[in-house]
Amino acid sequence: MKNSNSLLLLLVSLLLVLVSGVLLWTWGFRVYNKNEVNTVAAASAPRDSAGIAAAIRDSLQKVYKATITSLDAHIDSTLYGTDSLRTQLTAKLEAFFRLKAEINVLLKNRGPGNDIPLAKEKIIALQQKLEELRNRNVDVENENKKLSALLEQLNSAGKNNAGLNARKTGFENTLAGSSTGNFIASDMRLSAVMVEAEKERETTLAQQTEKLVGSFVVKNAAGQFNNTEVMVVVLQPDGRVLKSSAWESGIFNTPEGKKIYSYKLSFDYSRGEAKKLLFSLSADKYQKGNYTMQVYHNGAVIGRMSKTLS
Amino acid sequence: MYSVCTRTVVAAVLLFIFFTNANAQPKRNEPPASAQVFAGIEVGSKGVKMTIVEAGKNEVKNGNLRTVKDTSVNTDFISFTQPTYQATLNGLSKLYEEAVTVYRVEPGHVFTAISSGVKIQADKESKNNWIEQLINAFRNNIKEPGRKVTVVDVVEEARLSHLGIIPDARRYNTFLIDIGSGNTKGGYFPKGNTKDLKLFQLTWGTKSTLNAADKRLDGDKSLSNYNRQLERVLAAAETSEIEYAVNQSGAYPMSDNVAFSGGIAWSLATLMYPELIDNSVVPVNYEELVKFNERILNSHATLSDYYITRTMVENSADTAVVAREVKRVNQVFDQRSLLAGTGLMLKIMRQFAGVQERKNFFLVKNGQVGWISAYVNQNIRK
Repeated sequence: MKNSNSLLLLLVSLLLVLVSGVLLWTWGFRVYNKNEVNTVAAASAPRDSAGIAAAIRDSLQKVYKATITSLDAHIDSTLYGTDSLRTQLTAKLEAFFRLKAEINVLLKNRGPGNDIPLAKEKIIALQQKLEELRNRNVDVENENKKLSALLEQLNSAGKNNAGLNARKTGFENTLAGSSTGNFIASDMRLSAVMVEAEKERETTLAQQTEKLVGSFVVKNAAGQFNNTEVMVVVLQPDGRVLKSSAWESGIFNTPEGKKIYSYKLSFDYSRGEAKKLLFSLSADKYQKGNYTMQVYHNGAVIGRMSKTLS
Repeated sequence: MYSVCTRTVVAAVLLFIFFTNANAQPKRNEPPASAQVFAGIEVGSKGVKMTIVEAGKNEVKNGNLRTVKDTSVNTDFISFTQPTYQATLNGLSKLYEEAVTVYRVEPGHVFTAISSGVKIQADKESKNNWIEQLINAFRNNIKEPGRKVTVVDVVEEARLSHLGIIPDARRYNTFLIDIGSGNTKGGYFPKGNTKDLKLFQLTWGTKSTLNAADKRLDGDKSLSNYNRQLERVLAAAETSEIEYAVNQSGAYPMSDNVAFSGGIAWSLATLMYPELIDNSVVPVNYEELVKFNERILNSHATLSDYYITRTMVENSADTAVVAREVKRVNQVFDQRSLLAGTGLMLKIMRQFAGVQERKNFFLVKNGQVGWISAYVNQNIRK
């Protein structure tokens, strides 16, 4: 037993000596190798490398400055002149400013470890982004011109020949809505309905509710509309929009951004008419709490009411 | 002492390995005891698709099916080459095995079919023997010599798609148009019954439109040149075929709704309305699609999953789910394919986008499971 313990200790000691030897040899080899690489690099580097690097850096600084100046000249008109595309542009500009900051850091670093090729690459990327923005700006201007021309064309066509062969245009609703003002919704009702013995009955209990039935009256003193639309948004107590069916709900635009609607109602409207509109929504489950119904026309709220289920 | 330690260490290692492997075993997807599970496996032009649906016992009678799994293997059978044939056979056999073993679908509840696209191409190239051989080899592989593998014709496929996608409430006022990669097909029911479908067909699809525009590039491969050529291809397609096909279908006065399905409809619905990621169908209008087409052309970078998840309506949907789906769309459809598909859809929509009478347009996302789920449904009821 004693012998076997001594043998084990001897083996472990030998192993440790062997490992130490390998480590020492590796360290020595690395030190030798590094010195050799440094010598080769020093021999091949031109004597005035620092001057050349400074010259490259200066020229890059010039290119960069020119790019930034050019960018600044375009930035305002691009940002403020295109409302509908502002979000996209903001994203592009964010990318710009990120690149700009990165290049600044690279160019400020005048030490020997600075990365001139990387700075060059980034400046090229910056120039490409500027080009994209310029193109975008031109596109937006062209689009504005096209739309203005189209509006004029449609207006004159509408005056001269109302309703003649109007298929394939599709801008009528937007035009009519914006030029003649909005509707007002009144007499708004939202009822929770349960079915008992094949008869529908109103309830105030969320647990008994099988569907929500809503109605309201819309009125517009100014305009006459063919096939106009109002969107109904019913917000559940948890703030989420109640969606009855994938075929009924969708997205619409408001000045505050995109919104989801629960139901869309399309109708024809004659001037001054009090038009009653109805809808119903079914969900798997109804939460207890406050339900808010909002009615929108052309992105603006034209009526709002609440209903509580207990 | 030494041997005790060694034994303890070995036992611990063995136990660790055992538990690690036990947890790594794939979990089987077992349906609830009350539900019945069915599978439809279809050999299509591009690959083999499988749809697993389930329904409660009472729901089967009403055809109320829920999709549990929808998967596919790309095999390109209609190339009719030995490798694609073998890949299709392997895919078909593998999906069948998966349905029976992993999803525990009874063999009698697995329905197998060959799509009309395959049949049309085989007819064109006189390759019908390839279909027969595939069916026989499949039967042999799964050791079911009597297995029924139906070759579905184009009218039946369009009819089943309508039944599988469009809800009953909109059955007789909805025109369904499936924009595929090589062609477009669809139809509606003009006579108030689901037997007589008025078929609508175009020889243009997303890929064939892209290919036609590509052929005209003539050295200048730039995006602006591609878009110019694409507009020319689409203008020619509109005047030579689309206008005529829509007029001839008689769908304009008969339909209040026009629903688009197919890969391009799925991708547009996902990219345009990420907030409605849970909806199997989303409404759209002509102007919105025109605008979006411009966005594809001029700001394609804004269609990345990163950008879309950061600009969608807050708290409207699970951003991780949206990001995953948007990534999938971008993997399947690049900028030029999106432009080709959207351009084709716009040309068809234009025929319906009127001022006096506006149609409701919809983009259907789950169109690929449409006809196969209706086919399953039809066979369950038999």
